[in-house]
Amino acid sequence: MLRLPKFEIARPTSIDEVVALLSEHGDDAQIIAGGTDLVPNMKHELFTPKVVVSIADVPDIAGVRVESDGTLAIGAMTTLHDVASDERVRSIAPALGHATALISGPQLRRMGTLGGNVMLDTRCQWYNQTHFWRKSLGYCLKKDGTVCHVVQSGQKCVAAASNDSAPALMTLDATLVFHGTDGRRELPIDDLWRADGIYNKHVSGELLTEIRIPATPRGHRGAYEKLRDRDSIDFPLLGVAARVDWDDAGDRVARAEVCLVALQARPVRLKKVAELLVGKQRASAELDGAIEASAERAYKQCRPLPNIPGDHEYRHEMAPVFVRRALRACVRASENASDAAGV
Amino acid sequence: MAARDKHGVDAPWSAGFQVVGRPSRKIDGLAKAVGHAVYADDITLPGMLHTKFLRSPHPHAKIRSIDTSKALALDGVHAVITGECMPIKYGVIPWTPDENALATDKVRFIGDEVAAVAAIDEDTANAALELIDVDYEVLHAFLDPDEALTRQDPQIHEQSEANKKKRGHRGNVSKHVDLEFGDVDAALDAADVLIEDEYTFHGTTHAAIEPHCALAQASPDGLLTVWSSTQITHYVHRALARVLEIDASQIRVIQPCLGGAFGGKSDPFALEFVVAKLALLTGRPVKCLWTREEVFYAHRGRHPMQMRYRTGAKKDGRLTGVDAKILIDGGSYSSFGLVTTYYSGQLLTGPYDFPAYRFDSTRVFTNKPPCGPKRGHGSVQPRFAFEVQLDQVAEKLDLDPIEIRRINFQGENTQTVNGQRITSNGFMECLDEVERASRWKERRGKLPRGRGLGVAGSMYITGTNYPVYPNKLPQAGIQLQADRSGLVTVFTGGNDIGQGSNSIARAIVAEELGLDPMSVRVVAADTDLCPVDLGAYSSRVTFMVGNATIDAARKLRKLIVSAVAEAWEIEEKRVFMARGEVFDLESRNRRITTREAFHLAEERYDTLGTTGAYNTPTLGGDYRGGTIGASPAYSFTAHVVEASVDEETGRITVENCWIAHDCGRALNPMLVAGQMEGSAYMGIAEAVMEEHAVNRFGLHAGPSLLDYRIPTSVDTPELHALIVESLDPEGPYGAKEAGEGPLHPSIPAISNAVFDAVGIRLTHLPFTPGKVLAALRAQRSKNLATPVGTGGA
Amino acid sequence: MDVAAPAHWTLLEVLRYRMGLTGSKQGCDKGDCGACTVLVDGRPELSCLTLAALAEGKQITTIEGLMPAHVAAGGEGADPVQDAFDRCGALQCGFCQPGMMLSARALLNGNACPTKGEIKDALSGNLCRCTGYTQIIQAVELAVAEAAGVEPVSPAWAPHENPWRSNGTAPANETTER
Repeated sequence: MLRLPKFEIARPTSIDEVVALLSEHGDDAQIIAGGTDLVPNMKHELFTPKVVVSIADVPDIAGVRVESDGTLAIGAMTTLHDVASDERVRSIAPALGHATALISGPQLRRMGTLGGNVMLDTRCQWYNQTHFWRKSLGYCLKKDGTVCHVVQSGQKCVAAASNDSAPALMTLDATLVFHGTDGRRELPIDDLWRADGIYNKHVSGELLTEIRIPATPRGHRGAYEKLRDRDSIDFPLLGVAARVDWDDAGDRVARAEVCLVALQARPVRLKKVAELLVGKQRASAELDGAIEASAERAYKQCRPLPNIPGDHEYRHEMAPVFVRRALRACVRASENASDAAGV
Repeated sequence: MAARDKHGVDAPWSAGFQVVGRPSRKIDGLAKAVGHAVYADDITLPGMLHTKFLRSPHPHAKIRSIDTSKALALDGVHAVITGECMPIKYGVIPWTPDENALATDKVRFIGDEVAAVAAIDEDTANAALELIDVDYEVLHAFLDPDEALTRQDPQIHEQSEANKKKRGHRGNVSKHVDLEFGDVDAALDAADVLIEDEYTFHGTTHAAIEPHCALAQASPDGLLTVWSSTQITHYVHRALARVLEIDASQIRVIQPCLGGAFGGKSDPFALEFVVAKLALLTGRPVKCLWTREEVFYAHRGRHPMQMRYRTGAKKDGRLTGVDAKILIDGGSYSSFGLVTTYYSGQLLTGPYDFPAYRFDSTRVFTNKPPCGPKRGHGSVQPRFAFEVQLDQVAEKLDLDPIEIRRINFQGENTQTVNGQRITSNGFMECLDEVERASRWKERRGKLPRGRGLGVAGSMYITGTNYPVYPNKLPQAGIQLQADRSGLVTVFTGGNDIGQGSNSIARAIVAEELGLDPMSVRVVAADTDLCPVDLGAYSSRVTFMVGNATIDAARKLRKLIVSAVAEAWEIEEKRVFMARGEVFDLESRNRRITTREAFHLAEERYDTLGTTGAYNTPTLGGDYRGGTIGASPAYSFTAHVVEASVDEETGRITVENCWIAHDCGRALNPMLVAGQMEGSAYMGIAEAVMEEHAVNRFGLHAGPSLLDYRIPTSVDTPELHALIVESLDPEGPYGAKEAGEGPLHPSIPAISNAVFDAVGIRLTHLPFTPGKVLAALRAQRSKNLATPVGTGGA
Repeated sequence: MDVAAPAHWTLLEVLRYRMGLTGSKQGCDKGDCGACTVLVDGRPELSCLTLAALAEGKQITTIEGLMPAHVAAGGEGADPVQDAFDRCGALQCGFCQPGMMLSARALLNGNACPTKGEIKDALSGNLCRCTGYTQIIQAVELAVAEAAGVEPVSPAWAPHENPWRSNGTAPANETTER
């Protein structure tokens, strides 16, 4: 059997203890929540921490609640299954409900957590392999090596953000609550990402405890479309989250968002693409035209690389198709917002 | 063919079949259901060591030196071995022994085994691997079979000068077969239509869920016991004796419960030799469980083939001739490749009549994981090409695709153009069944664009009379033991790999002796206890083990019947066995239990036991290679696939697959259906999802069950198993194979269904969405360029 | 139960190699195949990705536990899911099936009458290479139908007589002999 490298396990019972452990061990510590990303990566010797810090015993960081101002607060340790099947999530944040329901397979959704998916390591066909495999190539830029096999003579790692939840949370203006040695802070999710596949986040040594989604308006619609070879288990080859908010009258698009994942190191927000829809009349030719134009613009703005498995030119071709489908799913969604994620 | 080999198609008793022909539980079903079944890695022996392999990081290199001293010095390491301790080459085909358990002089693909460590646990063994120093001289790596065909320097396998001359080839050729039956050029000249096209079949692998595992224990009296997840115990037994230079009588090979094989556990593998050698060297039991990644390197999967076919037909649809030229990418070793090369041509000559046929197949070596036999060995690829081409012929002649297959049906009790004997042949019924069940006549060509139906047919061997190593011994042997408790134990060398062959042996004995199946037990695949059987490959087990079992059971029955008749002083024909009892047919209240009958027979004949055997009749064409592909019976299959094509994404969804398969007689229809569904699933997966890909470095692109994508429950279409029973005159009660044939038509039927759906011909596998989109684009630009009124589909 | 194991051992390794519970299988090493599925406090999870130490204090049900639980609850023989898998031919090589049956058991514990789509979804994290899933899905449907007292759907290969009908042919009859 493929073995795990040796490590010790710490089981802190408070956020402060977690923070202290992370501070004490620095790069030698890794947080484990559901383990569905970390454990395979450790088996591949991509991570060889001395201490694995379990946050399973930390109280009050799991569960879904709606605060008095309508904010949806999801504990980072809430399993993907619990997020996907929560009626409040499906109603307030349909794109997130749909995206989490499409992550991996049934068992992994029961183990994996929303916090873990947000903090997912980037993925690449030259990286998510065993030590033997990577060593045969002299390793790669992301881990143990000096060359990138994706972009010949590339000096920057282009491993792809592959977390389905990320674009959905971006369309929802989510903020992330981190705890570190300097205490608690909130970070807008867009500010989490950096364009470096080696580590695509601005945060390290802190514990993500909560994902906060501000109340969505009554006319909010959201959807997530995922390209993958199999309808279970697989990571996204492309993921598109879309948001369309109708104005109070329900006539015109008040706001639109399109965010993509599985292209490059960071999930991307196509601001200009989504703006094309704003002000367009419901069920009108101009709205249809704007969706088409959005799709075309998405094609121009996306440049998938041969980083994750699969034909990157095909992934490029699918960007407009999936943007169109996600936007159409939003505008087609009925008044019952909980159906909005359905296609 | 001896009398022992042919038993007729009828039930043994006048009351008709009691067990055979009905769906029934498997002999090991409940043990598997509750977690009691013992697979190789479930065995742990006291003091057992664990083995890990050091593998080549280079696709092609000479080994200058190996230093194992640091590894050997590591605490907990008991032994480190390299190729020099087992220099004798082996190979499953005796004519092409080109493998070493561990590399002796060079490595031929990334993942080739170089050294092995036995240590107290896997962690220690892994740590020791890091301490082995190997000095390699890297050689040019062949990744492209076209280059391997023409470039001979360097040689992947060194060949003697004499051999080079004999082969008369340049390049790294593994095997070349060129056979012609009839005058193909004249036949194609005489055709009204001639279709010529190129087809590609990509590499795919078995991906049985159980990884390979082997265990060995050497006892002080010189007996070596090896447990292995093999599907051919007998060949492993022979290979161990050869490589370890130990008399076969001192080696015992046991196949525990097996977690799937599909051809991927047919070769002797490095781990079997290595655990055996290490057990001998250390005096400790030694186990090796390969990781999933290592299973991908071991491979022996479907050969990639580049195929060019030409098919001629008359206006009425009758074929005049078929001409094939095939380049086969063999990977780094021969494995079954000699047979593969023959099969790529020899198995195409049914269920249609080819008046003239030629094939020219060349297998080359490349520096990639070695290819071998995967379900439908060697014939799935040409079948794909030909069945698509046959659809192209039908299109050109404006014939219904099912009709053209009927028009060319070869019939039963006939001979193929390449000299193979066809006995039973239920292909026409298969076509009828899929046509009916799919509502073909109402729907084919009439569904909305984006959805279509496609058909394909095939035939496959039920075992072969070519026994891998030439001999006149039986291919299957059985021993029966009748216990005083009333229990009958069947001893069979046959390998139950999940297909249920032990259940079939039980059913046959129960049928023949009028026993409840629960009164029959089966001991299988243990070379110390069981008579030789050639193993689970070529779809031979039900047919050959089944016939041998009938043979042994009838001998036992004769002893019992005669003893009872003698005791009762009646004629033997009045003695009747059923439901665990023995009756007098003319005086029904005279009855005893089978157990009592066993006692009578044991009193009369001494300890009760019989043997049975099966061997094939003399078969095959009278030419070199004419026996390869010669089978005592052929199975026939037709599929209709209903597929939809998303023209935006290029994704093909197989919605339904109707599988009609002529299995002779379905001894257990539930198990037959399981084989049909599993075969169709595997073919569909190869067509639209799976690819065993090697990257530009010669490294397997994704050796995991995440990246090698086998379909999940939500990716698998509705599979409809329609059993056709032609009753073969030589099969056990008329049975033929069901485990491999039903894979073949899935793949071309999908291509043909896509043509019906959107009018594009997919001739290059796998049918990725990108290829579909490209073909749709080409179709659109062609339609734009075509004058109005003559546009395409 | 207390068991000592190194910190870097997975739950699957401890079950198989420390406790002798070899019914849970290892197919892919790293969370891709589902053969190692066990129930953790009733939920189907992958034991190959679970650190054994972090399973402390949780109720783990392996395939070996289903029959004793069924018997303890007053049933006879194997769990109805296990029995249905056997009766329907779902156990070809049987290697993926412990995980598959546990996924099915977890589904039925939460949803006594799942649709075919729900069955397929619930089993979509368990790869099977033998069956094409057809007889597996039929087995779950049979267990559902029998629990509900309705007649199960007959498979395509049995056009004349429904083999799953409780007064049907051999498979059902044989149950009593075990």
